[in-house]
Amino acid sequence: MRIVLLGFGTVGQALARMLREQRETLAARLGTPPRLVAVTDSRGSAIDPHGLNEAALLAAKAEGRGLASLPGIGGSASSLRVVLSTPADVVVETTPSNLAMPRPALDHLLGAMRTGKHVVSVNKAPLAVAMPALLEAARHNRIGLAYSGTVGAATPFLHAAGRLAVGDRIVKVRAILNGTTNFILHRMFETDEPFNAALAEAVRLGYAETDPSNDIDGIDTAMKLVIMANHAARSSGRPAGVAYRDVRVGGIRGLAIQRVREAKAAGKAIKLIATIDEAGVRVGPEEVDVTSPLNTPRNVNACTFSMAQAGEVTLVGRGAGGAETATAIVRDIIEVTTGARVS
Amino acid sequence: MRIIMKFGGTSVADADRIRHVVSIIKAERARHQVVPVVSALDGVTEMLLDVADAAAKGDELAVETLLTQIRDKHLACAYALGAHDQVRPLIERLETLVHGVLALEELTPRSTDAIVAFGERLSCAMVAHTLGGVAMDGREAGIVTDDHFTEADPLMDLSMFQVREALTPLLDGNKPMVVTGFVAANQHGVTSTLGRGGSDYTATILGAALKADEIWIYSDVDGLMSADPRIVSAACLLSHLTFAEAVEMGKFGAKSMHPRALEPAAAHRVPVRMRSTFKPDHPGTLISESSGPAGPGGAGSVVRSVPMLKNLVMLTIGGASMVGRPGSAAEIFGALATQRVNVHMICQSVSEAGISLVINQNQADKARAALDGALRSRHLERTVELVGGVCVVAAVGAGMKGTPGVAAKIFSAIANAKVNVIAIAQGSSELSISIVVRAEDGPKAVAAIHDAFALSA
Repeated sequence: MRIVLLGFGTVGQALARMLREQRETLAARLGTPPRLVAVTDSRGSAIDPHGLNEAALLAAKAEGRGLASLPGIGGSASSLRVVLSTPADVVVETTPSNLAMPRPALDHLLGAMRTGKHVVSVNKAPLAVAMPALLEAARHNRIGLAYSGTVGAATPFLHAAGRLAVGDRIVKVRAILNGTTNFILHRMFETDEPFNAALAEAVRLGYAETDPSNDIDGIDTAMKLVIMANHAARSSGRPAGVAYRDVRVGGIRGLAIQRVREAKAAGKAIKLIATIDEAGVRVGPEEVDVTSPLNTPRNVNACTFSMAQAGEVTLVGRGAGGAETATAIVRDIIEVTTGARVS
Repeated sequence: MRIIMKFGGTSVADADRIRHVVSIIKAERARHQVVPVVSALDGVTEMLLDVADAAAKGDELAVETLLTQIRDKHLACAYALGAHDQVRPLIERLETLVHGVLALEELTPRSTDAIVAFGERLSCAMVAHTLGGVAMDGREAGIVTDDHFTEADPLMDLSMFQVREALTPLLDGNKPMVVTGFVAANQHGVTSTLGRGGSDYTATILGAALKADEIWIYSDVDGLMSADPRIVSAACLLSHLTFAEAVEMGKFGAKSMHPRALEPAAAHRVPVRMRSTFKPDHPGTLISESSGPAGPGGAGSVVRSVPMLKNLVMLTIGGASMVGRPGSAAEIFGALATQRVNVHMICQSVSEAGISLVINQNQADKARAALDGALRSRHLERTVELVGGVCVVAAVGAGMKGTPGVAAKIFSAIANAKVNVIAIAQGSSELSISIVVRAEDGPKAVAAIHDAFALSA
């Protein structure tokens, strides 16, 4: 099983570690031992058709060196070049999501598909802007496209949405899909800290990026919601039809502590809630009852599906993290290469 | 408003007409966001197909003669417009390609598309230069197709996304764009063409992707008519038609749009306006979801148009062994499909003792041979009877659905005109009734039905 890995940040490194440590188990599940034949980072790439040594890659990263610096295997080939020219079975896209500039990642996915490689993406941006186009390209090229790590990481929100939509009708989805904002809101609720202090704590603990806009302005949640809406539609045989521009997006930037206190006094907590219902697709701060399963602590995600027949189903779990996301990638690699395909 | 403007071959036939088209684009650009789409110069697509064919046969003399004609035609036009610097390199690339085919004496659908696409590339370069804009081919505009060269199908979701991405930033720019009709590329960037529907299809794909307010299809006629004016002199121009009616009429003649080209417009509810380059102020025919205001041929009319299809034959396959035997029809149509015979109309009575088909006259021998062969090999007692010299007259109108008495009115009109009806077909969609009559009776039948439904202007 030849794997091309695009992006060697937290998630990419976690995947490399997992492949190294669990090679035997994975070989049994995949029918063939997985090997990384190419890995790229922001500065270059390392390529070896016989399989790269994950330990050497991780060591280079740990020393702050780029993959290009690795003797004999390192080079300056761009991710797209690597995707198009490296013989491989699967391309795994883990570069950072950039909604304003989805093109490089989108080109990686389309390039992989047109050269006959299965695709696993945990990068949300290309799916959020062009999901129908990507699904069509996968069908046309008869290859697998899986993206379960884009929403909820290891917690299988998308699988749940897909399965639930097959046997029943999902009438409403309410979800917490962003751990960073939930951490901030939970901290404000518990410690009575104002927004900026709670945000600073999230940055200090590594939950939030130095530029937290994607999280606190609701963009990350909205991208995940678009993917979930299209995935559920696709599973129930309806055309994928929700675009990012259809989402009303609100965030929690500068949320007043007063609002949190008032809610708390009334037995409620404020959460950044993603909603899909007949009124549309939206993201914004909303009050939930403190006894609701959506009132999750710290960075824990949750998703409640309201079914036409079966009532409510709620899934709760960690929604981010290197190992969690790498687990989703492994699950997706098994899915796309063993025949559970898009078409 | 946002408008896609598509100009057919006759609209860009020579330098004067190109100047005229450019003046229309400039006038509309002053009020609207426009995306012009152009076909090849009148007759050029056929010349390119001929030169490709001649090259594949190794006919050097014919190749050079045709290449000279193509070169002269375009350079004459280009010099008049000052666009020779844009045109000459394209002609040279075309010549290289054709000589490559000539050297190999081998022509694939893929190389056919590479050659034929030059028709639109050349006209687009000239229109864009005259307009002071940028020429883009369908690939650059974002249209991606499968690999069925010469009849490529767009990957519609991907094309929609890419067209939006490529063209939206240019809509408000200072430099106008001009897009080649008909030409696209597969996902590897290899040139493909859209086949049936051609440049109109390009226009409707762009219109749907960009959520245009209207798609304007310019040609040399004012719009769609209630009947061929050479048959019914009082035929009226149809100001409005529904998408379903336009699809039904698409079959009947070059002036209407191919149903395939209407699909993206209908699916995304973008109205299509058929209008004339020579009367740019005339509103033409608007094809949309609404049937428009009342009047002759308007919303109140049950039948809105009476088109006719000529040069047909009717094949009747009969035999008692067909009665009650499942699979008879599958055998017949399977045999015809393998010979790529296009069937216009099908009739079968409940007795099942015979199936009648209407096909083009020039496919009659092929069809008959295919049927004889298929039936003989199965040792089935069947007869294949061929009636030549027939035509199909149709009455088209969405208002027919659920309106009783339409058929009675049509047939009494035809009977009064002393025309004998050979066969009849009506689909359950009730959008049209098709009648087979003798070729010489066709015009009489058209006039009689047109009159019966008071369609004259």
